[in-house]
Amino acid sequence: MSEMIDIIVDSQSYKVQNGSLLIDLLIKEKIKVPYFCYHESLGADGNCRMCMVEIEGQKRPQIACDTFIKPGMIIRSKGENIEKVRTDILELELINHPVDCPICDQAGECSLQEFYMEYGLHDSKISISEKVKHSKHLDLGSNVMLDQERCVLCARCTRFTDKITYTHELGIIGRGDEAKVTTMPGRKLDNPYAMNVVDLCPVGALTSKDFRFAQRVWFLQTVDSICHGCAKGCNIYIDHNKIKYQDDVIYRFRPRRNDNVNGFFICDAGRLSYKQLQENRLESAILNGEKITQMQAIAKAKELLAKHKENITVVIDANLYTEEIEAILAFAKELNAKVCSPKEVYRDESFKDDMLRSSNRAANYKTIERLNIDTKEPDSSSLILNFNHPQDFEATSVINFLTHNRLSLGLSLPIAAYSENEGTLTNEDGFTQKCEKAIFKNVPIPTIIEHLIRLRR
Amino acid sequence: MRDCKIVSRKFELPNSHTLEVSKAHGGYKTLEKLREHSPLEIIDIIKASNLRGKGGGGAPAGEKWELMPQNSLKPSFLAVNCDESEPGTFKDRQIITKDPHLLIEGILITCYAIRAKHAYIYIRGEYKQFQDILQGAIDEAYEDGLLKECDITVHRGAGAYICGEKSALLESMEGKRGHPRLKPKQKEPEWFFDNPTLVNNVETIATVPFIVQNGADAYRAFGTEQSPGTLLFSMSGHVQKPGVYEAEFGTSMMEYIRHFGGGVKGGKKLKAVIPGGVSCGVLTAEECENLTLDYEALRCMRSSLGTGGMILMDEDTDMVVALKNILEFYHEESCGQCTPCREGTGWSDKLVAKILEKKGTKEDLNKLLEIADTMNGKTICVFAPAASAVIVDFMRKFRDEFEAKL
Ligand SMILES: Cc1cc2nc3c(=O)[nH]c(=O)nc-3n(C[C@H](O)[C@H](O)[C@H](O)COP(=O)(O)O)c2cc1C
Ligand code: SF4
Ligand code: SF4
Ligand code: FES
Repeated sequence: MSEMIDIIVDSQSYKVQNGSLLIDLLIKEKIKVPYFCYHESLGADGNCRMCMVEIEGQKRPQIACDTFIKPGMIIRSKGENIEKVRTDILELELINHPVDCPICDQAGECSLQEFYMEYGLHDSKISISEKVKHSKHLDLGSNVMLDQERCVLCARCTRFTDKITYTHELGIIGRGDEAKVTTMPGRKLDNPYAMNVVDLCPVGALTSKDFRFAQRVWFLQTVDSICHGCAKGCNIYIDHNKIKYQDDVIYRFRPRRNDNVNGFFICDAGRLSYKQLQENRLESAILNGEKITQMQAIAKAKELLAKHKENITVVIDANLYTEEIEAILAFAKELNAKVCSPKEVYRDESFKDDMLRSSNRAANYKTIERLNIDTKEPDSSSLILNFNHPQDFEATSVINFLTHNRLSLGLSLPIAAYSENEGTLTNEDGFTQKCEKAIFKNVPIPTIIEHLIRLRR
Repeated sequence: MRDCKIVSRKFELPNSHTLEVSKAHGGYKTLEKLREHSPLEIIDIIKASNLRGKGGGGAPAGEKWELMPQNSLKPSFLAVNCDESEPGTFKDRQIITKDPHLLIEGILITCYAIRAKHAYIYIRGEYKQFQDILQGAIDEAYEDGLLKECDITVHRGAGAYICGEKSALLESMEGKRGHPRLKPKQKEPEWFFDNPTLVNNVETIATVPFIVQNGADAYRAFGTEQSPGTLLFSMSGHVQKPGVYEAEFGTSMMEYIRHFGGGVKGGKKLKAVIPGGVSCGVLTAEECENLTLDYEALRCMRSSLGTGGMILMDEDTDMVVALKNILEFYHEESCGQCTPCREGTGWSDKLVAKILEKKGTKEDLNKLLEIADTMNGKTICVFAPAASAVIVDFMRKFRDEFEAKL
């Protein structure tokens, strides 16, 4: 580690590591400097030329993303000169931009729009007909759509496929103002992390087919959560919205930075897994295929518990929150029941890769291990209580607590999905992480803990 | 004018491109005594000669050679820059077609000095027929056993001017898009697949055998103190006898034009000269009057010597049309990574087109200068600043012609 030194930015002193990148300091300290091409995960490319600052002793403005901090540096990020430089470069950036913000999905979270409000605000000097024309909707594959006209050629997307996934599907062709992003001849964007380019793209050039035209981003509410796709526990944002008179709906998952876990990205399978939270949900209790009320279901469950005093097995899904698992264990103890969480179903070697995806597809498996819960199949039992474990079990009687519809016999009670509840998970590397409650349904589905309380009454 | 054929000495001989003719006239002679010197001694000779890079920048070659590690664990490479795409420049192709063995000899010496075992010649894509001659010479050299300790591979470019910029050239050789790289913060070699690499122009390397054979002083006997030696200067445009003629630095420009070029075509009056390829600031006829052809004299004129490829324009030249011609080139050839360059070259080209259509306004002229200002000093490579200087110089020196078209 190199030494900490002092530098001055806009008359204020900062302690920083000698030789570190100036732009990282500016980002960390929230000193506003516009930029497109730099990204902490991709490093500097220096192509957008937007991150200009003045450095005392240097004749010309310098780009912050390629400036390594040296002792005693004096930097100005504000002031008439440097702002003029930015305004001029921004004007050039916009010269061939279609400015179709009203129909652009990025509007509201677009760097170009933001910088224009800050530094631009000039009238267009060129008519639309004179602008360079490119393709406006290219289907790149993997749910990613490209609008070449909106592209600022920051090369974040191409650097992602070159340096992060090593799949090299994307490239830039053509020179000068004819340069454009596209896929390599005969290839599609096709890798398990492809949709991250949508988040990386600072403008509305890359949009997700899954999300485009679905919602204006400023209507969305954002909640911190953890993806339940596998034991990696990638940090995500859940973006949701409740339109008046309708139910609260998730519109997308986005990666949330966590350098200990997932860095900047998530896999596409995890990103799209939000859909499963809203599809084929079990919403009312069911007894042998017939809908019954919650009250009837609880009464029926109590009856079964009273009937089978012995030889009860409780099966726990390794995706449940730690708080839920612990509550179930306490309940099982009261029943004098055996507890297990059969692990074979969670193993999926085909899912594993060397980036993020784990072959263990249970988000809280570590907790099952920590609590010494048996991971073998249950012995034959007279009553099985299945808390959302993906397998179906046979016994004289079965009580299921399920998030989703299943063709199982016996009694099934609906339970809230993780997005409708809060709790903690421990990922495969031992990091315990919290999920917030994102979704408030018009008719809430009870959580496991609420069910257990009723069963005890 | 003093005769000073260093690089072009064998150009006029019949079949000068063959090994036989080359050897008969002293080709490869330096190799016999090369090993009497250590690699570092060779570098010292080049440093003492103050040989300056002939690819446009004029950087002292010896200092660049010295940056190459002498005991590297990684292999070292030499990349010879034969991308020659600057309008007005056509000297390197004379070397590879008239005396390719001189280049090969220079490569062998250079590789010995920098301890490289493999040299690449990056050749402009359009130079296919010249490449064939060069390759023929390399094949001959292989057959003759000259390339036992050093391989030479010709790498053909795909037709982008920017690949002449040394780091873009290496990106291109690595199989990537020809984008110039961010400049290193300290003096260091170039890198080819992360291996230390020296990039030199064809003519620079072709000058090396003479210096090693005859000594630094023999080279310094030509030219000026700061710009020693000779250059394959060339002329195109409105000149009686366009072509490539070697001359020493410090030669009077007008004398050179009269002596080798036979003056302005059709006996017309000279209006302007772009001294060394289009990237060099345009000079008016008056400015050329007492000008000498060396780096320092041209720097004084706020222009540059570049590659020494002079473009002459006579009194009837429409300078707005001339600027449009050059801007079309920049518009076409910007690699497109830096925003100011990608958008500025296109926009300025469109503005000059508008002026030529007589639809321009005073505001457009100001806008042109503003764009030029944004392109200057704010990009990764000097392509954009060159385009910027072209616009500024044309408009500063011939403003009336632009205003007349509004
Ligand atoms: C836009 C641009 C184009 C260039 N084109 C060429 C070229 O075609 N040939 C060349 O030798 N050098 C060219 N150069 C200069 C090279 O970057 C490099 O400085 C040179 O090859 C070094 O060789 P030298 O020191 O022997 O001149 C170009 C530079 C720039 C910025
Ligand atoms: S598509 Fe987006 S990420 Fe890719 S180069 Fe264009 S602006 Fe950058
Ligand atoms: S200045 Fe122009 S040619 Fe040079 S790197 Fe930038 S965009 Fe490419
Ligand atoms: S962020 Fe620095 S040049 Fe783009």
